[in-house]
Amino acid sequence: MGKASRQASRERLRQERLKEQRRAKRTRTLVVAGAALAVVLLVVGGGYLYLSAERRADQRAAEQYADLPPQTVQQDGSVVLAREGADAPVVEVYADYQCPGCRQFELTSGPTLQSLAAEGRAIVHYRPVSIFAQRPDPLGTNSLRGGAAARAAADFGKFVQYNDLLFEHQPAEGQAGFAPEDLKQWGSDAGIDDPAFAERVDAESTVADRFTGEYYPDLVARAQDALGEDELAAMSLRDLIDWGSGNGVDASFLDGTYVGGLIDATAAVGEKYAEGDNAFGSTPSIYVNGTLLGNEAYSGNGIEEAVESAEPGEVDTRPLATDDSAATRESPDSKE
Amino acid sequence: MDTEDRPAAGPAAAPAAPDRPPGTARRLAAVQPWATLAARLALAGVLAYAAATKLPPALSVQSVEAYQLFPPAVAEFIGLTLPLLEFALALLLVVGLATRYAAAATGLLMVVFIAGIVSAWARGLSIDCGCFGTGGPVAPGETAYGTDIARDLVFLALAVLITVWPRSPLALDRAFGLHR
Repeated sequence: MGKASRQASRERLRQERLKEQRRAKRTRTLVVAGAALAVVLLVVGGGYLYLSAERRADQRAAEQYADLPPQTVQQDGSVVLAREGADAPVVEVYADYQCPGCRQFELTSGPTLQSLAAEGRAIVHYRPVSIFAQRPDPLGTNSLRGGAAARAAADFGKFVQYNDLLFEHQPAEGQAGFAPEDLKQWGSDAGIDDPAFAERVDAESTVADRFTGEYYPDLVARAQDALGEDELAAMSLRDLIDWGSGNGVDASFLDGTYVGGLIDATAAVGEKYAEGDNAFGSTPSIYVNGTLLGNEAYSGNGIEEAVESAEPGEVDTRPLATDDSAATRESPDSKE
Repeated sequence: MDTEDRPAAGPAAAPAAPDRPPGTARRLAAVQPWATLAARLALAGVLAYAAATKLPPALSVQSVEAYQLFPPAVAEFIGLTLPLLEFALALLLVVGLATRYAAAATGLLMVVFIAGIVSAWARGLSIDCGCFGTGGPVAPGETAYGTDIARDLVFLALAVLITVWPRSPLALDRAFGLHR
């Protein structure tokens, strides 16, 4: 082999090696660029799906309540949702925020009730009660805390929104839930930014804890000694509290509280629908012009038909004077 | 797009610029990777901050709409994806993956931003540029187009610096054998 040809082949090898290096480098660059592109697509694509879903949910929520008619707090702490001057059947909704059936009712028929009220075809009267008040923690406290917080939300014109949020987050029976922190968060989710709401929630939660944890066990123990099981079983919670007040179990910590108002409202429905076919026995109880609905209440269509076939009715409570905050604290006995 | 192929492109590889004493070139070569690293981190910080302040997306969409350049659906899409793109670019710059391409894309984004601001200015719109969060209409006389453009030009300069000299320490690119 000549010197020239050796040099030529060495040169060829060098060229090959250079080409090889360049190719490897191109591959590396492609791999890196591909990895970077994957990162970008993942962040932008994934983020887009997440953000647009969140945005759609926000828009739905805004639209859902956009044409809600006025919500008016009543003297007994209940809330009337109706167009101004609406001439329509009255639908009373008695519910406990801890009751699973009430949650089912709200999920299936709640939106229908809201749109019936929005269209002026019904006057919806939300009347929260606490059928679980006499149960131990956490059932009783959840029920009282939830109901009192809903009443506080009504002060800020957001009862209906808050009512939906409470049912959406209803704790399972027997589990702690409706924690004050959550209750406050849902308030701001519903659009309440006044710190007075948070203060009220905290204050009511303290009352609920005291009621279930100290007051009620003490009351029952004394009543058992003094009255005996049979008489005790026949008494309503309101009667029992009244008995306690006359027999050294001070209930004044309930005065003016929404927890107290909830207990009074529960007693009031028992008296209003005391016996017969329309007797109030459990929650949810839905009345159209005072007539108790059966299973048809659990579907939007059923509610709609019941309302369609009813005559216009009258709300049996009076609006709360908004400038008189003391009236808020009055017990609903005033309506008798 | 690889510096190594064009050794004369950067002071890092420049043997000696003819009009410069060799000592200066060496010092520049030593400083350049750190300057690039600083630029990477600064630009990433700016992008991440811009992305974070644009959220929730309602703010960002409103900012895009204020430019009155796109139909609502397109403005919505841009409003949602722009902060995400900024965040993704910030991520690439921080870890130093595909540094050169990420910086070039950021530079391109700055050019687009500047064009948008110039267009708003030229059309006599009174808007906040929406560069960092608060976009939308503002009172006439409260616009800051000049400042906004100047600021974006600084960011553009950083992006150009990284694109031209992508070699820097603490970069994932090195693990792949790029810009060593």
